Amino acid sequence: MEQLIIFAILLSLGYFFGRHAEKRHYKSILKREKHLVQLPTSASKYLLDDGRRIKRAHLVNGSMVVSVDYFKRILASLRNIFGGNVQSYETLIDRARREAVLRMKESCPGADQVINLRLETSSITKGRGKQIGSVEVLAYGTAVYFYK
Amino acid sequence: MKYKPSLPEDNDNVSHDQPVREFVLLFSGITIFLLLVFWILGLFVDRAVDYISPEMEAMMFSSVGASASELEDGSDPRQAELQNMVDALQECTHLAYPLKVHLVDSDDANAMALPGGRIFVLNGLLDNVMSENGLSFVLAHELAHFKNRDHLRGMGRGIVFSTVAALMTGAGSNLTQLFTPTVGFSQAQYSQERESLADQQALQILGCYYGHVGGATEFFEAMKPDDKKRGNVLAHYFASHPEAVQRINNLHEMASTLNLAIGEVRPLPAILDAQE
Repeated sequence: MEQLIIFAILLSLGYFFGRHAEKRHYKSILKREKHLVQLPTSASKYLLDDGRRIKRAHLVNGSMVVSVDYFKRILASLRNIFGGNVQSYETLIDRARREAVLRMKESCPGADQVINLRLETSSITKGRGKQIGSVEVLAYGTAVYFYK
Repeated sequence: MKYKPSLPEDNDNVSHDQPVREFVLLFSGITIFLLLVFWILGLFVDRAVDYISPEMEAMMFSSVGASASELEDGSDPRQAELQNMVDALQECTHLAYPLKVHLVDSDDANAMALPGGRIFVLNGLLDNVMSENGLSFVLAHELAHFKNRDHLRGMGRGIVFSTVAALMTGAGSNLTQLFTPTVGFSQAQYSQERESLADQQALQILGCYYGHVGGATEFFEAMKPDDKKRGNVLAHYFASHPEAVQRINNLHEMASTLNLAIGEVRPLPAILDAQE
């Protein structure tokens, strides 16, 4: 019985705190994306506009490690039994991807373009999946600066 | 090419369904499924138990049991006295079952019917009954469990249920905790049913042996205050035994339906009396 109560507390803590954190994070993501949308970013290895002379270019990267809350983890493991869309993990990955790109862009203020953007995901809880469920998303690319 | 910055209006990578709704749906689905599976598997366990004879049972469980240190010395005269009482009562069950009584040193007041034809009597029980009849009722209750093979049914269910739950969720995962109530509820409901049946049969054994059922409720009367400690509305559904008050009422009701008189009780045999 006590076990069940602890479980229910963890579940609701996970739900409310997880939801709160997610909302706040999305708010920040949207705000920063709006600001940084002015920096053209592409996955192509060629410049978007090659009329200008390149002043310098360097590697930039940004990464985020994000963990799933207790409620979502339980929901996902329930989903594991039935199969289908693991919807509870969708926002987790989405947030990590966008945050990583944002951090990458923020690391090169004044750049004119970021080209060759790549995203990589790694689970940092391999083998210990039952204790923690978190992923890292790494975004990296080449920041290009032109002569004005 | 001119770069025109804009952001997508919608986020198509995440679903906007209600997670709580999904949780409730999945959880209740699996709970209903498990209850159904447990019910069916329970019937299979009952079938299997029918094939296990008392001799076979004794053989299977001869090597399993409590360690020697937990048991009181076999030479304890109280244990011999309890054994005599069980043997005498057994004549009223029309059942030849090789039974062995063990007296266990413990403050808890309880008796248990264990696989392999063993009855464990916890020391504390002797402090909680006033008369020989009261003690006989508890022993008769355990005899009824043996007659109904409840110890095997209970154990079989325990093994099967936990195996199914663990197979579905992976042993030790968080999910197993989620299904513990379902498993507990299934077992508790069944167990309470069997306990009531055993109470009824114990009453009949008592009536057969003494000619009346005086003292039958003695032990439950002594246990009544313990129920208050539970104090939880839900606990009742997960308890293995019905509440003492309810058992007393049921016993009174049964005694009057079966026309069993309530007579004078005999004092506890001197050797079992805790006051000595």
